[in-house]
Amino acid sequence: MNLTKKLALLAFSSTMAIASVAKAETTIDFWSQPYGDQIKWQESYEALIEKYEASQSDVKVNFEILPWSDSRTKWLAIAQGGAAPDCADMWWLHSFSAIGGDKYGPMPLGDLASKLPIDEFYPGAMQDASWRGDIYGVPWRGDVRLMLYRSDAMKEAGIEDAPDTWDEVVEVAKKLTVRDGNNVTRWGYGFGTSAKIVDWLMPLYWQAGGEFMTEDGKTATIDNDAMRTALKWMHDMVNVHKVADPDSFEKGYVARPLFVANRVAMFGSAEQAWGKRMEAENPEVNGLWSFARSAKGPEDRDSFSGAGYLGVLRGTEKAEACVNWLSFLAKDENMQALSEASGNVATKPAVMASEFWTDRPYKLVVAEALQDAHTSQHPAPAWSAVSTSEPGGILYDMIYSTVIEQKDMDEAIKKAQGLMQAELDRTE
Amino acid sequence: MSDAIIQSAPVWAKPTSRYSDLFNRALILIALGALLIFILLPIFWMLKSSFQSTSEVHAIPPSWWAANPSFEPYVIANKIVPLLKYIWNSIFVSASAAILAGIISCMAAYVLARFRFPGATLILVTILLTQLIPPITRVFPVYFLIQNLGLLDSYSGLILAYTGFAVPYAVLLLRGYFQSSVPAELEEAAMMDGCTYFGAFVRVILPICLPGIAAVTIFTFLLAWNDFLWASLLLSSGDAKTIQVGIGGFAGEGGGGRYPNAFMAACVASTIPALIMFFFVQKWLVGGLTAGAVKS
Amino acid sequence: MSEKNLFCYLMVAPALFLTLILGVYPMIDTMIISFQDYDLLTLQSGGVNWVGIDNYSKILADERFVQTIWQTVWMTVLAILFSVSAGLLLAQIINVNFKGRGILRTVVLSPWFVPPVTASAIWIWLLNTNASPINQVLMDWGLIDSNIRFLADSTTWGPFNIPMLSVVAVRSWNGLPIIIIFLLAGLQSIPKSLYEAADMDGAGMFQKFYHVTLPMLRPVLMILLALLFLGGFGHFEMNYVMTGGGPRNLTNVLAVWTYQEGFQFLRYGKAAAASGIILLMTITISIFYLWVESKDNRK
Repeated sequence: MNLTKKLALLAFSSTMAIASVAKAETTIDFWSQPYGDQIKWQESYEALIEKYEASQSDVKVNFEILPWSDSRTKWLAIAQGGAAPDCADMWWLHSFSAIGGDKYGPMPLGDLASKLPIDEFYPGAMQDASWRGDIYGVPWRGDVRLMLYRSDAMKEAGIEDAPDTWDEVVEVAKKLTVRDGNNVTRWGYGFGTSAKIVDWLMPLYWQAGGEFMTEDGKTATIDNDAMRTALKWMHDMVNVHKVADPDSFEKGYVARPLFVANRVAMFGSAEQAWGKRMEAENPEVNGLWSFARSAKGPEDRDSFSGAGYLGVLRGTEKAEACVNWLSFLAKDENMQALSEASGNVATKPAVMASEFWTDRPYKLVVAEALQDAHTSQHPAPAWSAVSTSEPGGILYDMIYSTVIEQKDMDEAIKKAQGLMQAELDRTE
Repeated sequence: MSDAIIQSAPVWAKPTSRYSDLFNRALILIALGALLIFILLPIFWMLKSSFQSTSEVHAIPPSWWAANPSFEPYVIANKIVPLLKYIWNSIFVSASAAILAGIISCMAAYVLARFRFPGATLILVTILLTQLIPPITRVFPVYFLIQNLGLLDSYSGLILAYTGFAVPYAVLLLRGYFQSSVPAELEEAAMMDGCTYFGAFVRVILPICLPGIAAVTIFTFLLAWNDFLWASLLLSSGDAKTIQVGIGGFAGEGGGGRYPNAFMAACVASTIPALIMFFFVQKWLVGGLTAGAVKS
Repeated sequence: MSEKNLFCYLMVAPALFLTLILGVYPMIDTMIISFQDYDLLTLQSGGVNWVGIDNYSKILADERFVQTIWQTVWMTVLAILFSVSAGLLLAQIINVNFKGRGILRTVVLSPWFVPPVTASAIWIWLLNTNASPINQVLMDWGLIDSNIRFLADSTTWGPFNIPMLSVVAVRSWNGLPIIIIFLLAGLQSIPKSLYEAADMDGAGMFQKFYHVTLPMLRPVLMILLALLFLGGFGHFEMNYVMTGGGPRNLTNVLAVWTYQEGFQFLRYGKAAAASGIILLMTITISIFYLWVESKDNRK
């Protein structure tokens, strides 16, 4: 051991000693993206921090909201060694782990993970906070997507129940579509509420019985009949049945005003957070909409889901304090507060059983839909690049050329399979 | 160059005996009307949305007036981001960068315009070169440079960046100004009186060039004022943010935020200080640019 | 070193220093990366290797990329044509001495005070097929019988299409104020006597514009056009926010392509190569400008 190392070790152990004796106060930097109503979000976190700081005297939390508009660039910079907070609300775990390597980005918790109540979470949600056998934090934000429809439009068309299968969806969507000359005044169907067309394909592909890659994340598995079934269904909804708006595939398409104005009658894969948001922001349509479980495809009823997680960043010297804070947030009542403020489903069964998640019929449907949840995270660092809904993205291009440009489907799938395999090989 | 300040009479305002000119003038007025609608429609839309309710902002078909105009969106906006504080931060950062860029580019432009010295052409080409790659590609190199200088999350880093981005443009612009607007006899006279080079520059040249410097200063000010990317990347503590970063905070995941009306209110609030500043200095700006543009 | 030279170097030093670290260094850095297999996903595990012109030949083999180059040129040309002609008209009008000129000037320049990101957000509302007030008015007047799909219609006429023209309009809106300021300055320097002479000759309005105003504005127009081309080729914000390159890649431009390749697909090498292509284009413009300028000076 050389002198510098010895000195460093000495300095390190002495600080540890001081820390344990004097219980010096630690301030940790914690960032979160905003969810739901920005004002309520800020207030909820401030309340949680106040409660936390009152409950113990060692750790203080310095909270910052990281707006979505700076989020991507900032996390990219951080994964390359930029200035990071100690812990944060994070996303894209697999990619940022790969970019940061063992130097920057998300930090595996190792033994510290034992301080977190891991068993209390849905196993599926835990999966989204884990990577290659390591646990990176606690999942807090469930995003499960299910069917959303205008009940008034359904009643008008004489339809009793929400469609339950793909075929029924087609029939109902045809009845709900209203045309006026060249203009469609109401589209019977929309694929999804998020403006990401790859997110729309995912559940359809699973419902048709497909999986995007093998479990080890090494082999792309998209050139198969399930993909052909899913893509053909998308294609037909737009071009054969003409019940879905082709413009919804373009950037800048905003779904909610159209739904509120009764210009789109049904969404196949709607974010469940819309429920709470419409209740608060669009009271004029209260009672005019309902959720339903996703329609069953040829094989399955799988629904898009994902969980954001709260994790620790490499480079922090306060990992222990961070985990302490995270374990506080992981308590049922605090997870509940975050779930209520954001409108996102909780990642713990205990919270989903609470009054908040059972006091409205739509919330019961959401809770029921959790059993259909299929994670949108895949065990490959390149998955985020593969599944990005931007022109040039592999899956994006495949969908766009088949559904919108109406080019040869088999060729598009074959090309995508090859490109996706190359992407997965990229990190081998 | 005294002609420079004389207003040229506009062609269309002059009475002529020609019948066809009347027709042309009508055409021009129609074009002017169309252009004014084009320019003002978004501004009007921003203003009216800032007084509407959220559902009115997103109404289909669109609603052109606020049914019950209210200042509520401004109150909400101020709750989400501390508008006044952020505007003040922006003023500080933009003004510092503007003054710094004004001084630095003025010094360089002056010698590049008036003296021959070894390497002058090379320096000029270097400065031009920096305008040639798209700004988006310098994001990470500059970020890590600022980080290595230890200037992340500080105004110094941000001011340095804005100054650096504005200087090449400003030097090119000002150089033309110095070439055309400062009579060489003036500085010669000053040198005769025993001034040093620097003395002549400060005492004689600078005062004459104030309008030109003002022009460059305003360019830099607005460049910094309107910037979102760099302020959001280089700053992270909440209190220090600039107004454009604050405005970015109104976007929700995937773009649409909860309060589009408050978003527009914050935008309106952010344009006001810049507008006021501009209204007072516009004469200077135009006068200042004149001579510079003539020569380049 | 003579006192004069020392003075000169001292005066240039701060500007040169800033230019070197914030302009030249990122440029060289980008150009180096464009010859490497710089991949964010494998940077930590595999490092980087030199790959020669591999990145360039790969992106140039992509027909979508080649299409993007042409669109970058077309959109820049259209935006410049439109905004410079509009600027010429507006600058002449606000150059007149009349009551309220200060107000009209501020009004005409008002887009300057709306930052590009905000401006794009507002324009997206204005151009949203279903919620556009423009469509609403045109419908009410009976000028159209179905909504114009400003940002989504993929019908093309040669290299042109509606979304491209929409984005060009928004870019022009954003760029207009600086053009007006430049032209206004140029106009003020034209001696009044030239117009008086033209009047004596009985010249009409357009003749005066063509024979007096335009030639006198030439130096201003030249530097202005050069700067607009340089900025236009690297333009990012409006294109990205409004359409992200769609529909069918019809509004994609090189800077957006660079962003997607780098920030979305995490392949910095190829993103840098796309910047290299932009650099070649801007260098061409600069050389052309310098050539024209030196020819003018020799006259």
